[in-house]
Amino acid sequence: MATSVQHDLEELRTRALADLADAVDAPAGEIWEKTYLGPKGELTLFLRGLGALPADERPTAGRAGNALKRELEAAWDSRHRILAAADLDQHLAADAVDVTLPGRPPTIGAAHPVSQMIDELSEIFALLGFQTVFGPEVETAHYNFDLLNIPADHPARDVWDTIHVDLPGEIVMRTHTSPMQARVMEQTEPPVRVVVPGRVYRYEAQDASHEWMFHQLEGLAVDRTITMADLKGVLAELARQLFGPNRRIRFRCDFFPFVEPGVDFAVDCAICGGKGCRVCKQTGWLEMGGAGMVHPKVLAGVGYDPAVYTGFAFGLGIERMTMMRTGVDDVRAFAGNDLRFLRQFAGFA
Amino acid sequence: MRVPLSWFSDFVDTGLSPRELAHTLTMAGLEAEKITTIGDGWDNVFVGLVARVEPHPDADRLVLATVQAGDHALTVVTGAPNIASGQKVALALAGARLYDGHVEGQVLKTLKPGTIRGVRSEGMVCSEKELGISEEHEGILVLEADAPIGAPLAEWLGDTVIEFEITPNLVHAFSILGIAREAAALCDKPLRLPDAPSLSAAPTGPADLVTIEAPDLCPRYAAVVIEGVTVAPSPPWLQRRLLAAGLRPINNVVDVTNYVMLEWGQPLHAFDRDNLAGGRIIVRRARPGERIETLDHQHRDLSDETLVIADAERAVAIAGVMGGVDSEVSNRTTTVLLESANFAMGSVRATARAQKLRTDASARFERGIDQNLVLDAAGRATRLLLDLCPGSRVAAVSDVYPRPVLPREIQMPFREFERLLGVRLEPETVVDALARLGFGAEIDGDHLRVTVPTRRGDVTLAADVVEEAARIVGYETLPETLPTGETPPVRRDSRHRLSRDVRDTLVGCGGFETVSYVTLHDADVACFADGAGVGFLHTVPRDGLLRLRNPIQSDRAVLRPTLVPSLLEVAAANLRHESGVRLFEIARTYLPSGDTLPSERTVVCLAMAGRRDPIGRFGSDDRRLADGDRHPTDDGHLDFFDLKGSVEAVLDRARVAVRFEPATHPALHSGRTAAVLAGERRIGLLGEVRPDVAAALGIETTRVAVAELDLDAMLDLREPLAGVRIPRFLPVAQDFAVVVAEATPAASVEAALRAAAGPLATSVDLFDVYRGSQVGTDRKSLAYRVVFTAPDRALTDAELVKVRDRIGKTLKQRIGGELRA
Repeated sequence: MATSVQHDLEELRTRALADLADAVDAPAGEIWEKTYLGPKGELTLFLRGLGALPADERPTAGRAGNALKRELEAAWDSRHRILAAADLDQHLAADAVDVTLPGRPPTIGAAHPVSQMIDELSEIFALLGFQTVFGPEVETAHYNFDLLNIPADHPARDVWDTIHVDLPGEIVMRTHTSPMQARVMEQTEPPVRVVVPGRVYRYEAQDASHEWMFHQLEGLAVDRTITMADLKGVLAELARQLFGPNRRIRFRCDFFPFVEPGVDFAVDCAICGGKGCRVCKQTGWLEMGGAGMVHPKVLAGVGYDPAVYTGFAFGLGIERMTMMRTGVDDVRAFAGNDLRFLRQFAGFA
Repeated sequence: MRVPLSWFSDFVDTGLSPRELAHTLTMAGLEAEKITTIGDGWDNVFVGLVARVEPHPDADRLVLATVQAGDHALTVVTGAPNIASGQKVALALAGARLYDGHVEGQVLKTLKPGTIRGVRSEGMVCSEKELGISEEHEGILVLEADAPIGAPLAEWLGDTVIEFEITPNLVHAFSILGIAREAAALCDKPLRLPDAPSLSAAPTGPADLVTIEAPDLCPRYAAVVIEGVTVAPSPPWLQRRLLAAGLRPINNVVDVTNYVMLEWGQPLHAFDRDNLAGGRIIVRRARPGERIETLDHQHRDLSDETLVIADAERAVAIAGVMGGVDSEVSNRTTTVLLESANFAMGSVRATARAQKLRTDASARFERGIDQNLVLDAAGRATRLLLDLCPGSRVAAVSDVYPRPVLPREIQMPFREFERLLGVRLEPETVVDALARLGFGAEIDGDHLRVTVPTRRGDVTLAADVVEEAARIVGYETLPETLPTGETPPVRRDSRHRLSRDVRDTLVGCGGFETVSYVTLHDADVACFADGAGVGFLHTVPRDGLLRLRNPIQSDRAVLRPTLVPSLLEVAAANLRHESGVRLFEIARTYLPSGDTLPSERTVVCLAMAGRRDPIGRFGSDDRRLADGDRHPTDDGHLDFFDLKGSVEAVLDRARVAVRFEPATHPALHSGRTAAVLAGERRIGLLGEVRPDVAAALGIETTRVAVAELDLDAMLDLREPLAGVRIPRFLPVAQDFAVVVAEATPAASVEAALRAAAGPLATSVDLFDVYRGSQVGTDRKSLAYRVVFTAPDRALTDAELVKVRDRIGKTLKQRIGGELRA
C-alpha cells in the first residue's frame, strides 16, 4: 500500500474524529454523518475509489478503509446516542407544563347517594345470603297494614301517617317497605332471606329530619331456627360493614305491630366511640332502625306455622344511613337534587 | 305524656337521677323524648310576701307593692290586677332571666331595675308566663300560704318533667302511676299506690241511675253522685301538677277528673246532675238526627254508630270523647255525677276520627283501657273531691259491669324463650322478671303458666311474654350470632342489574342521577297533555290519571305517568346556579291498569340543558366544545344530539337494537323530536322541549332536551352478547361522501349504505355533513367512514372496488344519492 493512501486515510480518520467531537448537537451530528458516512461522504467516496488503485494495493487499502468505516460508524453510533438524548432532553424541557394546573376534566356525573347506599346495602346483604327484591310503591291496605297486624281502627295505624290514592278499595302509597314481607312469604316456602329497598311515603310535614318521600330497606329472614341473637348478629355485621370494624349494636325495646319482641337498634357513635358528642347528641348511640321477631300473627297470616317457623325483620332508613355516614344534616337535600349537593357524592361508597 | 317527677315520686323511689330514669325507661320501651326542668332558669327569683299595696302616685293602673323577701323589703311597681297584701308571690330581682309576658311565645329577657312613672321598681312580681309555667299572664302567680319567705323559688316550685312517647300498645303506661309501676319493676323497688278508698260501702244508687243500652260499646259504667259540692278554683298544688303535666286548671271538679286521668290513665267526666233530665244516665247509640253541643262549643251531628251518654231526654256527652255544654259543671253546680266508665276502643276511635276530635280521653280509650280500672279511679277521684269540698258527701254509687274481665292465662313451653331469643334464660330469672311486672308465673314441668294482669291487654301470646321478660332482663345480654340452616339461593334481580348498568353508563356520560318527588304539578299536567292524554312516553287519558287523596301540596296530587316534568323542574332549579346540567333518573311511573293496583313501569329519564362544558379552561381547541362537522347548528350548548348520544350509549350498553324516527309530542319541538323504536315497539321518546313550554317551566335562556326510555321494555329486548371474536385480518377503511336531497334523512342514507355494503362492513360512521356550492342547492353531502373486515381473509382491492360499485348503485336506486369522488 502506498504510503500516500495510508496517510490519506490516517488524515481522514483524525479529521473525522475531531469533527465528530466538535458536533455538539443533533443537527451538527447529522451534517457530520452526511460528510463522512453519507452516500457522498468522504469515506464512502474513498471506498468507492478503491477500484482506481493498482491491483496489488487494493486489498490492503480496502481492509484499511473498511476498518476505518467500522471505527467511524461505531464512533458515530455512540456519539449519535448522546446527541439524540441531549436533543430529546432539550425538547422535553421546552415541552414542560405547570403540573399543578388542574387536570382536563372528563365529563363524569355521579349516582345519587340513595342509589349508592341501596347498592352497597344490597351487596352487603347478598354476602350474608339475602336476596334483594322489589315491591310495588302503590300498595293495598291489606299488605301495607292488615297482614302486618295493623288492623283498621287500631291506633297503631296512626303511627304511619298515610297518603291515600284515589282508587277503589283502600289503596295507599306504601308507608314502609314492610308489605313485601307478606308478599315474599306468600310466594315462597321457607327458608326466606330477603332485603327490600325502595321508596316509601308518609303524610308528613317536611323539615330537616322529616320527608314525605324517603327510602327504606326492609330485611326478612324466616326459618326453623332464626333467633333474636341472629338478628343482633346480622345487624352488628351490617353496622361494622357500614361504620367500621369495632362498632357495637344496642337493642332498645320498642313497638312495631308486626314484630314481637320489637326493638329499635342503634350503633355506637363512631365519632366519639360511644362517649357522647355533638353528632350523637351526647347519647353515644345513633339510631339505625326498627327490628324484631316476626309476629306470630304475621307468620300465620301468610300460612307459615308460627310453632315451626320463627323469623326476624328489620327496617333501615336509607337517607338516615347516608346522613350518619356523611354528616348531611338535612334530609330534604336528598330529594332537593341540587347539583352542588349531588356532585359531592361522585366519590362516595 | 308529661310526667312531673314530684308527682311520680309519690309512687316510687327509684334512686335514679332524672337522666338515668329516662334512660332506664327508654331502654324498656317507654321512650323519653325530653327532660325539662321547671325553675331551671330561676336564679334571682324568690318567694316573697306582699306586705303592703299602695296606689302609684302618678298612674291609675299601677300600684306600689312592698314585697318582703328574707330581711329585705323591696318596692315593686306592678300592674297586676290580682295583687293583694298577705299574698306569697314570686319575686324576681335584677338579673333574673324571665320570659317576656307581653309577646307571643317564649322570649327570654333579663330583668333590669327601672323607674316606672317616677317610682323606682326594685324587682318584679311574676306571672306564670314570665316564669315559663304556663301561658297565663292576666295576673301574677300566687303561691300557697306556707311557702317559705325568702327561699329560692326553684326550691319551692321547681320540678323536673320527663316527656314520654307512649306507643299504641302501652295503654297501661299512659299514666303517671303506670309509668311509676314500670319504673318500680325495672328498678325492683316497691310501688306505693295512691289513696283510693273503696266505694263499696257507699249507698247504692237507684236501679235506674245507670242504664247501658249498648253493652257491646260500653262494657262498664260507674256513676258516683256527690252532693254538697262547692265549685271553686283548685288549690295551688293541684293546679301546679296539672300545669306541669300540660293541662290547664279549670275548677276543682274538672281538675280532679283530669288529675285522676293523668294519674291512673282512666278518663273521667263530671256532670252537673241537676242538669241531667231525670237525674239519670243512659248509655246508648245516638238517635237519627241527634245533635249535641260539646264543651268546645261545636254543634255536632251524631251518627247512629256514635255512642253517647244521655239523660232521660237527650245526649249529654259523646262517650269517651267529650262532654256536652248542657250538663257542664259550673259555678252553680252543687251535685256532681262522676262518670268512670269503659268504652269499646274501636267505637271511640271511629267517633273521634269522624268528629275530628282527639282528646286526652279518646287517646286513652282508643288504646283499650283495663275495665277493672273503673272503680279504682272513681274512688280516687271521690277521695280528692271530698277533700277539696268540705261538707260534700257521696249520695249514691252505681257500677254496671255485667261481665267482669278476669286475668288471662298463658300456657307456654319454657323453651319458647330460647327459641325466640337464641339464649337460655334461667327459669328463676323469668319468674322474677314477670313477677316484678305484676304477672303471675309458675313453672310447670317444661311449661310456664303465666297470669296476665288485666291492665296488660297487650299481652296475649307467648311471644308477648318473651318480650316482657326480655325487656326486664335487658337485651344487652343477647349474644350476636349469624343465622344457621340452609341458605336459599341468592338470585340477582335483572331489573336492578339493568338499572345499575344504565346508571353507570349515564354517569360515565356526565349525568347526575336525581331522586325527585313522584307527584306532578297541575301546570305540568296541562303542558304534557293533548287530545290523546297526559304523559310523555306513556300517556294516560286525563280522567285516568292517578291522584292522591291527601297530597302534601294540594296542587301536586297527580301520581306521575312520566318523569319528564320532574326532571325539568330539577333542571330549572339548578340552572339558577349552573351553566349546564345533565340529569337523569331511573324511577317508576304510575299508569292505570284496570287491576286493584296501578301498573308501575320503570323508566329512564334524561334531561340536558345549558353549556356542554362548564368553563373553557383549555381554550377553544378542546374538541368537545364544538362538533360543527356533523352538527352545523352546534353552538356549544347541549341539544338534541347530546341527548341522543347518551340515549344511544344506554341502548348500546343494554344491547337493545333500535331505530330513531321523527315523532311529535305536544311539549316538544316539532322538528327535533324522535321516537325510539325496537321493531314496531315504541320504547322511547326524545326531543327538545318547545321554548314556550320550557319558559313556562322556568327555563328561558337555553335549549332543553329530554328523553324517556322504558326500562322494562329494554329488559325484554336485550340481545345476548354472542359470537365475539378477535379479528385476524386488518380492517380496511373507506370513506363515502353521499350527495342526497336535503330532505333525505341520514338514517335512510346509512340504511342504504349498510344494505349495500353487506356483512363485510363492520362499522358505518357519519363524520361530516357538507352543504354548499360543490353539491348544489337543496342538497347535502354526508360523509361516512365504512370499515370493512372479513373474518377469514384479507380483503383485496378488487373486492373493494366491487363493493364500492354496489354501494353507488344502491344509493342511486334507493334514495337518489350520488357518490362524490
